[in-house]
Amino acid sequence: MSAAEIVESARSKSARSSGDSALGTSLPVRGWAFRFFWSEVRLIAGRRRNQAGLAVLALVPVVIAIAVKMSAPSPGRGPDFLSSITSNGLFVALAALGVEITMFLPLAVAMLCGDSIAGEANQGTLRYLLTVPVTRTRLLLVKYASLVFGAFLGVAIVAVTGAIVGVAVFGTGPMTTLSGTQLGFWAALGRLGLVMLYITACLAALAAVGLFVSTLTEQPMAATITVMIFVILSWVLQGIEQLSWLHPWLIVHEWMSFGDLLRDPISLDGAGGGLGIALAYALVFVSAAWARLASKDITS
Amino acid sequence: MSEHPDVTSMATRRKWLVPAAAVGMVAAVSLVGGRLAIADNDLAPRTAAELLADLQRSRLDQLSGTVVQTAELGLPSIAGLTGAGGAGGPSGAASLSSIASGSHTWKVWFGGEQRQRLALIGTLGESDIIRNGSDIWLWSSKDQTANHFVLPDHAAGGMPSRPTALPSTLPNGLPSGLPTQVPTTPEEAAALALAAIDPTTRAEVGPAVVVAGRTAYELVLTPKDATTLVAQVRVAVDGERHLPLRVQVYSTTATAPAIEVGFTAIDFAAPEARQFEFTPPPGTTVTEGMSSALGDRQAPSTPGIDPSKAAVAKTASAPRVVGRGWSTVIVATMPTPSMEPMLALLPQVTGAWGSGRLFEGTLFSVLLTDDGRVVAGAVAPEALYAALSAAAAPAASQPSPAPSAPSAG
Repeated sequence: MSAAEIVESARSKSARSSGDSALGTSLPVRGWAFRFFWSEVRLIAGRRRNQAGLAVLALVPVVIAIAVKMSAPSPGRGPDFLSSITSNGLFVALAALGVEITMFLPLAVAMLCGDSIAGEANQGTLRYLLTVPVTRTRLLLVKYASLVFGAFLGVAIVAVTGAIVGVAVFGTGPMTTLSGTQLGFWAALGRLGLVMLYITACLAALAAVGLFVSTLTEQPMAATITVMIFVILSWVLQGIEQLSWLHPWLIVHEWMSFGDLLRDPISLDGAGGGLGIALAYALVFVSAAWARLASKDITS
Repeated sequence: MSEHPDVTSMATRRKWLVPAAAVGMVAAVSLVGGRLAIADNDLAPRTAAELLADLQRSRLDQLSGTVVQTAELGLPSIAGLTGAGGAGGPSGAASLSSIASGSHTWKVWFGGEQRQRLALIGTLGESDIIRNGSDIWLWSSKDQTANHFVLPDHAAGGMPSRPTALPSTLPNGLPSGLPTQVPTTPEEAAALALAAIDPTTRAEVGPAVVVAGRTAYELVLTPKDATTLVAQVRVAVDGERHLPLRVQVYSTTATAPAIEVGFTAIDFAAPEARQFEFTPPPGTTVTEGMSSALGDRQAPSTPGIDPSKAAVAKTASAPRVVGRGWSTVIVATMPTPSMEPMLALLPQVTGAWGSGRLFEGTLFSVLLTDDGRVVAGAVAPEALYAALSAAAAPAASQPSPAPSAPSAG
């Protein structure tokens, strides 16, 4: 934890509390909640380690684009979508998302989750947050909203970098769907947007798990590692065929189903189920985090 | 706080009821939700014969839907044979040669006799079979290959009037004595079919079921023969349109169906015309004419199968059939054991009949003896050994190619 970060965090906290106390509780809840949310987002985006993390996330599509430019892969080899890149640059974004959704993006979310509650408790700022007139429920909801936004930020960095680099290097030829039909550039861009939203929804479910874990400990690192173990364990279980009865309950079960959005017509067999899983995880773990935070003695 | 510890802990505990309720809700929705559609019992009662007649009379004009196919045959997971996805890293493979085991999802579009499309859905891939008139296209997104061939004119109308994905998995040995008379009405055909299977099979109509959100009759075929591994075959027939919606084959060794093919979603509206149009996208390797697109990709990596040997195998002596009905066992001869690397994965068994390798599945067993005989049937291994002994007696004049010392076991 660098000194600069503590200062930054303290500054944002003091700005938050002074602003709120000045305006009192008469401020409309909506405006208040938005400003709280916005200050959380600024906190997330302002952290040096988060910026470094985003840079690493953005590096993957760049590496993919360079590698494919140097030697075009033959179809059927390497990561999915790799061989399609040469015909449409947007596939750089899709290939990068496909590579990063297994580990990199969950790791980014796990880092944010560690900072979310456990980090504040660790720095001793959580109780200051609670001295401003804010219920713990609202605090939790704002924290969760900012985590979801952080997840979207990670996905967007990968997708936008991939799209820009890909289009610059490979151009905007028609996109071939998995069904073998062709889409124009704008339709393809729309599909990429849907994929981004879907992956964000998947990561939002993970953020709910992370939020809960974050209320259990005051060690941000412990929370981050726990969330990562949860993800890795889910992938391992997903890979064991004998446990196929368990697979529909795993958080990662339909993560790769974003491919459903690249068919013609769009199919929701997998992706629809994936949204259901994400909703179920979010419901259960956000409410568990609420029960935990609401009943917890906050001493630091 | 310390003055009211009980109150605090009560309130604390009550808070945890919320996530508990959330768990309960999720469990209820996912476990019950699918089954909540209670079969509506307004279906007019039907006998098995009436149901079979309905099945034959049903006309299918168009539909689109999703078919899920699950096979738990107990096949050994040999890489390259079953095409199982790797651990952890989800494999996007959706190749037409990997459908022998596991669960697979198909999308089906049926636009009349001339236009059909089947798509095998993989995680990040898709394989399509598209028929439009006399054109047939096979498309694989993973390999970016397309295979095109044109049906000869006389065959152009000869496709079955039902989507090819519809269950056709009734075991081969089922109607052991097919009627020789040509039935003139569906009722007559149904009666003949039932009469033919009657010695071996009990056919009845079970309680109504819900398949793909539609109420359906269920035709239940139960073998009377106790030695077969097939416990039951259940065919769900749509209550309104009399189409088969689902076929399940149950094994005596497992509670879940060994084979299940059925719709999970079905829509009888006409599919859009563009579903049947296919133009190979740029960058696709297009092969014209009938080629080996359906399985050649993996064949070279499968060890030990030599096409020339396979050809020789066809010239081997004709298979013998032992037993009747469901417990029919086929005894055939292979000239050379050509699949040794794969066979080594199967357990070794010995008996009075010799020794060999045994595959014991949920629905059938296969025995490959060391002297090159293949014995197979929808029965337990013991029945295979018995059939082998029965077949050996009359065939004694034909010496086996490599007589190994019979080990008494």
